[in-house]
Amino acid sequence: MEINWITVSAQVVNFLILVWLLKRFLYQPVIRAMDRREQKIQNRMDEANSREQEAIHEKQSYQQKLAGFEKERDDLLEETRQEARQTRSQMLDQAREETARVRSHWMREIREEKTAFIDGLRHQSLDVVETVIRKALQDLADEHLEDRIAHTFVRQLHTLDDATREAMRRSSEPATVATSFELDPAQRGTLTRSIHELIGADLTVNYTRAPELICGIELTCESQRISWNLSDYLDELSASIERAFEPLEPTGAGG
Amino acid sequence: MTITPDSIVYWQWGDFELNATIVFTWLVMVLLTAGSWLVTRRLSDGPELSRWQNLLEVLVVGIRDQIAQVSHQQPGPYLPFVGTLFLFIAMANLLNVIPGYLAPTGSLSTTTALAICVFVAVPVFGIASKGAGAYLEHYIKPTALMLPFNVIGEISRTVALAVRLYGNIMSGTVIVAILLSLTPYFFPVVMQLLGLLTGMIQAYIFAILAMVYIASATSAHEHGEPDENQNKTSPEQ
Repeated sequence: MEINWITVSAQVVNFLILVWLLKRFLYQPVIRAMDRREQKIQNRMDEANSREQEAIHEKQSYQQKLAGFEKERDDLLEETRQEARQTRSQMLDQAREETARVRSHWMREIREEKTAFIDGLRHQSLDVVETVIRKALQDLADEHLEDRIAHTFVRQLHTLDDATREAMRRSSEPATVATSFELDPAQRGTLTRSIHELIGADLTVNYTRAPELICGIELTCESQRISWNLSDYLDELSASIERAFEPLEPTGAGG
Repeated sequence: MTITPDSIVYWQWGDFELNATIVFTWLVMVLLTAGSWLVTRRLSDGPELSRWQNLLEVLVVGIRDQIAQVSHQQPGPYLPFVGTLFLFIAMANLLNVIPGYLAPTGSLSTTTALAICVFVAVPVFGIASKGAGAYLEHYIKPTALMLPFNVIGEISRTVALAVRLYGNIMSGTVIVAILLSLTPYFFPVVMQLLGLLTGMIQAYIFAILAMVYIASATSAHEHGEPDENQNKTSPEQ
């Protein structure tokens, strides 16, 4: 057990060289490689984390967008429903109005037709009645219709109340007798006499033709009016014809 | 019977003897360096590793972990020194299974050289870490009276370091030699295996003790002489 100091110094040098060699060829390269690997792993982890964050962020953004789309869709749907309801109600209203309009138009036409028919009927029946009466008077009593009309009118003048007579008597204007037919001078004389007797002797009497007075005669003085004509009798006929039409008219007619 | 490889001299020039210790030390150095170079010239930093790179990484990481565990400090500055102590001693002892090989660690000259390296490295690391004043101060703690004892302790533990390794390796060689003469054939093989185990343990012990001494010198709260168990209780940095 002896120590060779020269060998000891050589071994010290050898050991120091070995330390340097291993540091150069073993520790540094291995540690560097491990550090690089760790760095790579860290980078990948960072990248993965950032991608995950990005993915989460994108997911959230897509979810938000999706929610926005759904809301928008719901809103649109609701809006469309609302519009459809409004349109439906508008169309229903229009249809109702149209129906009512058509109905009222139709009713008006019916009424007009009815009125025209009744007027026509009245006019025709007037002619017929006039002819029949004229003929009947001629055949039965050998009298003229005009005479009977004038006679009836004079009889009507007899029934006038005092106030009317007084009003006519005080009139400054002349009295006017309108007839649908031409009066002969004898008839005019009779009428003038009757008027002078019954109303006032000073009253001037003029005679005019008025074809609109159907088979009738009319006295106008001041604001008083006395008349007789056949249409009064025909009013009864018109009323009964209108009554006959009533069941045909639609119930509850609005216009 | 050869007790120390120092006595086998291959070549001599003046006082310098090229003995077996130096030759086999060179062999170990070449093996370690060449092996490292072969593996580390093509290192992969990706996920795929060669087996040899994996082995080296396991070794380096293991040594780093041990240093960090013992010193509670960053292993970086100490790794080359302590790691090389371990690798050199372990490789020198491991090659003992080769017939005709004489472990350089079986020479007191080698173990003395290693112990001297540790003896020098402790103050170097200590001063580098704490500064000369703070480092030298711990020799006169708790009182200046302790200075001689601290110095003696410093020297004695170095001697113990050298002799422990030398004794263990040398005894293994000697025991095998003795057993060969008493019970040849099989029994010495068992002792060889035991010798391998002892060799690895001694490499570990030497490196760890060196680290403990260095750690005690670089640690800020050290008082007095560190011992082999102090690494368990030394406060954390």
